[in-house]
Amino acid sequence: MEVLPQTVAESLRSLIYQQRALAYVLVDHSLVLVRAGGFLEHYGLTKLELFEPASSQIDFLEGLLPLAETPFLIRSMEMPSGRVADVHFFGDCDGVWILLLDVTTEHDEARLVQQKAYDMTLLSEREARLIEQLEAANRALAESREELVRTHRRLDQELEDAAYYVRSILPAPFSEPFSVDWRFVPSSELGGDSFGYHWIDADHFALFLLDVCGHGVGPAMVSIVVANMLRSEALADTDFRAPDEVLTALNHVYRMEDHNDRYFSIWYGVYRPSVRRLRYAAAGHHPAILVTGEPAQQRGRIETLAARGPALGIAPAASYACHEYLLPAPSRLFLFSDGTFEVGKSDGAMLEFEAFLDVLAAPVAAGESELDRLLEFIRDVHGPGPLEDDLSIIKLAL
Amino acid sequence: MLQKKICMLGAFGVGKTSLVRRFVDTIFSDSYLTTVGVKLDKKTLTVGGETVNLILWDIAGEDNASAVRTTYLRGSAGYLLVADGTRASTLDVARSIATRAEAEIGQVPFLLLVNKCDLRSEWAIPESRLDELTALGWTVRPTSAKTGESVEAVFQEIADRVVR
Repeated sequence: MEVLPQTVAESLRSLIYQQRALAYVLVDHSLVLVRAGGFLEHYGLTKLELFEPASSQIDFLEGLLPLAETPFLIRSMEMPSGRVADVHFFGDCDGVWILLLDVTTEHDEARLVQQKAYDMTLLSEREARLIEQLEAANRALAESREELVRTHRRLDQELEDAAYYVRSILPAPFSEPFSVDWRFVPSSELGGDSFGYHWIDADHFALFLLDVCGHGVGPAMVSIVVANMLRSEALADTDFRAPDEVLTALNHVYRMEDHNDRYFSIWYGVYRPSVRRLRYAAAGHHPAILVTGEPAQQRGRIETLAARGPALGIAPAASYACHEYLLPAPSRLFLFSDGTFEVGKSDGAMLEFEAFLDVLAAPVAAGESELDRLLEFIRDVHGPGPLEDDLSIIKLAL
Repeated sequence: MLQKKICMLGAFGVGKTSLVRRFVDTIFSDSYLTTVGVKLDKKTLTVGGETVNLILWDIAGEDNASAVRTTYLRGSAGYLLVADGTRASTLDVARSIATRAEAEIGQVPFLLLVNKCDLRSEWAIPESRLDELTALGWTVRPTSAKTGESVEAVFQEIADRVVR
């Protein structure tokens, strides 16, 4: 090593000693403190006792001595006083010299830089984790959505199948000895409408229309079951020619609490062609409408065939009255569900019942189907999109 | 009096200094202050009826640019490896340090502390990875410097092991 000029060496020693607050200790081979000097108090190393074990007085020496290598350096050690020192170890024949040089300023500067770097790193790691979590959540959401779409498609298919079945069991229209026609438009969710007609005997023709509360496959199944009971006349000790008796018997066997709290309205009538007499009863159902007069020539006259009584399934002890009406010829009897006239208009208002009756009573041109005309009217009023409820209507024309 | 040197090792930002502060001064601060170099602390414990001074070396955490100076481990009776449960990469760092520590000072008692267990819902280290380490003979302890959960216990445990 180059020998420094005396003045330079002195200046350097003075510089380090003063500015770096040099402190030193010497620990001999028995690990006993034998010399100590410099700015020891600057580092909080006070009350050092010579010729006593070093590590019991200077904590950082615990386990370090004897040195495994020399020289040895511990950078930036925070001392008991709060000052930070580079701690230099080197050995000679007397033992191990330990020098402390103050680097507090450099330490604080380095810490500021490191703090910024670590803050940035932790922030970007956190951001990466959040992005990963977000992407995982998005993937899960997309999977859930796909599952929902699949379920929705399946349910749509099931509703379509149910609607197909409901339609398949409806009787066919006919035209002799009087004509019967109908239209059935299930809502998107499928409602609880069902209807039917059949000959009880050669002179008694039964027709009915029922509407189970609610929408979906459940109400549709209930309506099918009830319609089948009526078609097959499956009510014990009941004269199906007597509408009041039919509804009373049906109300007796059908309890809403046995059917998921579903009740239903029904209009049931029996027509005798030989005497043109219609007998009917209703349970919670709006009136049927009779339009009399020659349809091709003038606006018909409207009669409402109403009957009172609670919906079926609600009051087991209820009884129902029978009404009679002699049907003139020509005349058209319309039996329908509430979805036929409770129609939301495109402006948000509801269709007026009077407007609905006006369409039923309007003159019918030759070859025109007044049921198709009615459907077209309702679709115009409602606007695009499926109807909110089933639309069911039967026309019996004399 | 018996004195034992114990080193705190791990990646940066895992909570080594916070664990020492919680143990020595029973305080916790949410603000993160990085450690440069080494910070020394001392705490007196009783092990088997004998008083022991733990000399705690809180060594600056490892990052991509600088590895832990394993030479600082010389004379350690044991060490505490710390990982951050919310940062999976810190477990890899802990495993790597353990390998280098053993190469430097041989087999001495150590515990793996998975810190920040107060944020368990945000943990990114699968339980299976910790089970693997347990199967290898590692002692794994969840801790929280924030709540103090298990902090006293793990320092007492490492003291017991190094004195035993």
